[in-house]
Parts: sequence; structure tokens; C-alpha cells
Amino acid sequence: MGADFNLLNVDLGTRKSRIVTISPQSISDYIGGRGLGAHLLYSKGKHLGDPLSPDTPLIITPGALAGTGAPSSSRTSLTSISPLTGTIFESNSGGRAGIMLKRAGFAALWIEGRAEAPVALVVDEGGVRFVDASHLAGLGNKDTRRILLADEGEKHSVLSIGPAGERGSLIANVCHDGRFFGRGGVGALFGSKNLKAISFYGDAQIPIADKDSFAFIVGEAKKLIAAHPITSKGLPQFGTAVLMNVMNCKEALPVRNFRESSFEGASKISGEAVKDNILTGRHSCYGCQIACGRTVKVDGVEVEGPEFETLWAFGAALGLSDLEGVVRLNARANDMGIDTISTGSTIAAAKELFDLGKLDWDPLEGGLGGLLNLVDEMALGAGRGAELGDGSRVFSERKGQAGVSMTVKGMELPAYDPRGCQGQGLAYATSTRGGCHLRAYMIAPEILAAPKLVDRFSSSGKAGLVIVSQNLNAAVDSLGMCRFTSFALKDDYYARLLRAATGRDIDGQGLMSAGERIYNVERLANIERGFTREDDTLPKRLLEEPHRTGASKGRVVSLNEMLDEYYRFRGWDSEGRPTLAKLDLLGLGRG
Amino acid sequence: MYEQFRDIGRDLYLGGLVSSHAGNMSVRMGDRILITRRGSMVGRLKPDDLIETGLDADDAMVTLASSELIVHRAIYKATSALAIVHTHPPHATAISLSQDAIVPVDSEGSYLLHKVPVVEAAKTIGSSEVAEVIPPALRDHKVAMLRGHGAFAVGELLEEAFMVTSSLEFSARILYLVRTLGGDLKEYRKSAERYDTW
Repeated sequence: MGADFNLLNVDLGTRKSRIVTISPQSISDYIGGRGLGAHLLYSKGKHLGDPLSPDTPLIITPGALAGTGAPSSSRTSLTSISPLTGTIFESNSGGRAGIMLKRAGFAALWIEGRAEAPVALVVDEGGVRFVDASHLAGLGNKDTRRILLADEGEKHSVLSIGPAGERGSLIANVCHDGRFFGRGGVGALFGSKNLKAISFYGDAQIPIADKDSFAFIVGEAKKLIAAHPITSKGLPQFGTAVLMNVMNCKEALPVRNFRESSFEGASKISGEAVKDNILTGRHSCYGCQIACGRTVKVDGVEVEGPEFETLWAFGAALGLSDLEGVVRLNARANDMGIDTISTGSTIAAAKELFDLGKLDWDPLEGGLGGLLNLVDEMALGAGRGAELGDGSRVFSERKGQAGVSMTVKGMELPAYDPRGCQGQGLAYATSTRGGCHLRAYMIAPEILAAPKLVDRFSSSGKAGLVIVSQNLNAAVDSLGMCRFTSFALKDDYYARLLRAATGRDIDGQGLMSAGERIYNVERLANIERGFTREDDTLPKRLLEEPHRTGASKGRVVSLNEMLDEYYRFRGWDSEGRPTLAKLDLLGLGRG
Repeated sequence: MYEQFRDIGRDLYLGGLVSSHAGNMSVRMGDRILITRRGSMVGRLKPDDLIETGLDADDAMVTLASSELIVHRAIYKATSALAIVHTHPPHATAISLSQDAIVPVDSEGSYLLHKVPVVEAAKTIGSSEVAEVIPPALRDHKVAMLRGHGAFAVGELLEEAFMVTSSLEFSARILYLVRTLGGDLKEYRKSAERYDTW
């Protein structure tokens, strides 16, 4: 068996490692990346309890196309159980860790146990080294990365957590070469293992099974990406923040904790505003022609530019339009290692409680300085931030005001109000990892006309579209390709790339079937963890409180009717459990 | 939903992609199918021309459903399609009589289709034979030709399936014109020699 089948198993408690062989059938059925991570985790069985237990594994898997030169294929998956949602949780990020891991000879890295003292792992062709990280404890991501690169070599790829992850904040994230494994509190998983960082290096060539065909298909795929206005104009020019004015003009932008649907200050924190005022450069993940990343300069300092979701979370969600302020809040949150969507959304919930007279302090009172301090305190679990630092569900429930928490399965919703896009509401409710726009991105057909524009206010026919999107996205995540490519590419392109790169016998429909299998495995894992139909829901506000003005005036999400159709379409029973017939069809039967 | 069927049906007829009472369309709704009525005029669809029946099981409505129901069902079971458009595009059908694949030479067809496979069956209308040969051809392509009969196109939406159908016929017409005009084709596309391997 070659590198494609090697799993590096690392026990932090015993400081031992071993190589385990992954079966070819597992690779065939689950592709790589997200799918392989879900399969490996689910295969561990029902033994998974507390997400923050040393026994809970943390799995890092490169996408199947990592390092091949396929367009935008550098995404790496991190899979475990989320301390925020309690669900199976996969977060993926651009960066070079997956490529390095693969070049080092591994298809997966499995980490369990808890180190006695802060530790960093160095993974290369020789396996793993355990490095004392006491000197890194308490440092932000920026310094941690700088020191590790100096110690291990500039060519390494580095994953690290900030103080938020170290203290176990349920909304902590993991920094990956300056980008992030966000959402779900994955940083706390590192913290619970006393794992401060991982450094990856490998330089072996990734073999391509059919070089001529692969080069041809890559060329055709790049041609389509270069021809699509979203991937060739919108994202390259304005970054993901291109969505700010789009969502606002559709009046589907959640404002002030989803109390309003359009924001008077949107243009000041838009992609156009970033470009006109603070942009100093564009950058991309490894091997990506879209280059949606931004570098911006504020107060004479160049930093990573904020994504759309961050501009929303520290802007429209709070009713603020201070562009430079958002940049500084983003930089602070990134260094402390705390998720910007969850952080902004939790502050927005606190602001609503203050407005309702249910909180005796105004989170926005201190202006930008006060917010920067609050972000620090949330990350550190100190001061007033201690109340907010584990996300809005924990905060609002402690206050006896659960209704202000705009979460699904405990995770804060992102920047799309589903009262203005019904399918996205179903996507949120049925996401296997909670309030997330990435499991099914219904904004594509409902707002961005990709592949074609559908009636965003109608619930009719949305179940099928959500399912196709969820299945395709599961497959694309498993390839390690960026979701943005799917604006331009269809399932058969992805299958052709995988076929030519690896020699695997797969076609477009085979890829979709693998995506369906992955989604069902994630669902099964959640069912075994106690999730039921009752959890496939939305915050009460979105189901019962219509907007009083705007395009979505008078509308709420028609969830129940869509959910029934969704379950039937999926081949699940009325409680959302996959039927035996469906499991057999997917090769998941246990008989 | 009716409006989508009506509008696309009208365009199929006016675009010359079907004759007066030919062609059919469907969408999948979970374990149900909404399909045009047997013998309906797709260019003049009325609400009663849409027939709902099961994806798997027959019910009384199968008596009214398009005779191609068996093919639509087979496609839905074998692929992730949510919509199907079946037409009789004349130029594509003509080319299917002499070729095993339609490989567009125009820009739009090259981008969108690359290659359209042609499959065949002795019994070409609503047969189990067609239901066997068409779905495999759609696993890696969004439209396939049944030799001498017509096109089966799939998509997430009716509009998508209509788009590839329309694009196919335009590409086929251009191929026909190119061959009729004669002369050597001046290749303008990179890697065009590989398109027939798509």
C-alpha cells in the first residue's frame, strides 16, 4: 500500500505513533478530505462521548486532489466532534497543510490523547516529532506561527491555536497558514489535548495517473472558471465581500441580530469599499486562480482583509459601518483564535438583550476600543467577555433568553436571512454541523442565479435543490477543492479530475453518490449522538417573526413543509432517520 | 411549477425542438414525478397536462402520463437529476444517424457540452430498452442522444435541461452547416483534438 492509504496515528498521552493502513474500499467510497474524515470518525463507533475528552480523535485529511495541480484544490479537512454543537464536525480551510501531509506520505493524521504539557507536533516523512510548546503557551497565532516557522523552516505549513483555543472557548478556531479552520469550536479540541500547534512538511511528488488527460481536464476547468462572472470578476475584484451589497440590495442581509433585513451602512463595509479605500493586494490559496484573499492596510499596518462574513459579523450584525474598525477586530479575533462569525453574532445577541433591558451593560458602548477589549475578553474568558466567550447559545440560555440566540444546533448563523431565501432556511436546518451556509449554499440559485435563478421566496422544489447541493458539496470538500469552483464546474468535471489524477473508476454520478454516502454517514453519526428531527429547526424568530418592511416583509421560513419533503427525498423516515433501504443502497447497511 | 413547464414547453415548440405532440418534460419531487401528459402539446400546456405519479410505483395516473415515463423514472433512479427535458431536435437527430457522438465545433457547445454521446435501441419509444441505455449515458454528461429519436437532457432545474437541449441543437445545426459548406475547419480551440474523449 502506498501513501494514499497511510494513516498516521498519534497518541499525545503516550507520545507514541504508528501507521495504520486505510482500506482501498474506504478511499474509493469516501474519496478523501471531508468524506474520509467522516468515515474514519464514524468507524470508531459509539464510543465518542464528550468532544473535549482525550479519547475524542481529531482527524486531519487532505483532499483527494491535494497537490495535483487541480484548480483551487488545496483545502484540508479537520474532523471531530464539535464542542459547540455536539455534532460530528468538519471544518475545511485553504492552506498547505494537506498538501504537505500528503507529500510526507500520509492520507490522514489521527490525533488522540492529551499531552501533559503544551506540545507542538512536527509531521514529516519521518513520521511525527513531539516538541515542547511551553514557550508558545498564551501566544497569539501570529507569534506562534512566526516562531514555529523559524524553528522548523519557512517551507512548513503551520496549524495553531490562540489563547481562545488554549482555554477551551467553544467558539475557538484553528489558524492554518494565516487562514482558518473556523466554526464549531475546533480550536478548543486542540486546547483539550494541550496541542498548541502542528507543523507539516513533505516534498515527495504527488503522482498523476494519466498526465495528458489530467492536463486537458484542468485546462478545460480553468477555462470555465475564467469565463464565469462570479469566479472571474466578482470574487477576484472584490473578494467574498462582493456579497455585501448583493445581499443588502436583496434585503436578505441579517442586521442587528436578524431584527432587520437591510443595512443603511452596507456600502461602507462592502467589497467595493474595501477595494476603494484599504486594499493593498490580492492573494490566493495554493494553486487557485480565483484569488479571493485580500491584503489591506489600516493605520499603516498591512493585515489580512476581512471576509464577507466577518464584515457582516462585526458590521451589519452589530449595526456598525466602521470598515477600518472591522479590519482591526478581524485581526484581533484571528490572532486570539476566535471565530469571527460566532463572536460578532454573540455580541449582537448581547446588544439585543441590552436593548430589551435584559442586560445591564451595552456591548457597543465603548466604541471600537471597547469592542477590541471585548473580543480579547471573550477569547480569554475574562471580564464581561466571560459571559459571551462560549457563543450565543450558552450566553442567552444563562440569561434565560434563548430566543435571542440566532443559532442552529448551537452554532451561530451566518450572513443570509432565510426569510428572504427559503431554501437557505432548509439548508441551515438540515446542515450536519449546525448553523452553516456551506453544507448547502442555496444563495447560489436563490440570489446569485447559479446555475439558474429560482424563486427565492418559494419553498416549492427546494428540498431537491438542497439535497443536490449538500451531496455535491460533500464530494467537493472531499476532493479538497474550493466550493467557489462549483459556480463554474459540474459534477462530471470533478469526477474527470479525480479519475485522471488517481486512476479511480468514477464518473459524475459516482461522485454524487459518494457525496450522498458522506452526508448520510454524518447524519448517522449525529443520530447516534442523540440528534432528532427536533434539532432540524431554526431560531423561533425565523419561523414566527416576519420582517415588517422590505422584500421579505410578512414572510417567515416555511420549514415544516420543506422538511417533510426533504426527508422523503433523502429516503429518511419522518423522524429524519435514514431507512434501511437507503443505507443498503449506499453500502452503509450493517446487516 | 406549471408556469415553468408552460413557458419552456412553448419555447421547445417554437424553437423547433419538437413537433406538435412530441417531446415531454418532468421534474422530480422526492419520491414523486411531475410529468407532461401523454399526447399533450408541449407548446400549449395547460395545468391539467401535468401528471403526478410515483417515482417507483405505478398508480392510476400512469395511464395519463407520457409514454416515456419509464425512461424518466430510470434516469431519476440512476442520477441526481431533478429535471428532464426530452425533445426531437432535427439536426442533432440527423447527425445521430451517422455518428456515435456529437462533438460540437462552435464555442458555446464546446464549453457547455464537449461531447454528446449517442446510444441506440431498436424500440425507441418508451421502451425498457431505452430505459436501460439512456441513464448510463447521463452519468457523465448532461445530455445524450437516442439514435434516430431525440435528446434526453437533465439538470437541477427544467431551465438547465432546456439550456443544454437548446445548445445541443444549435451546435448540431452549426456542424450541419459546416459540413454543408465544405472546406477545411480552421481550428481555434486549444486541445480540441481531445474533445471526443470527453
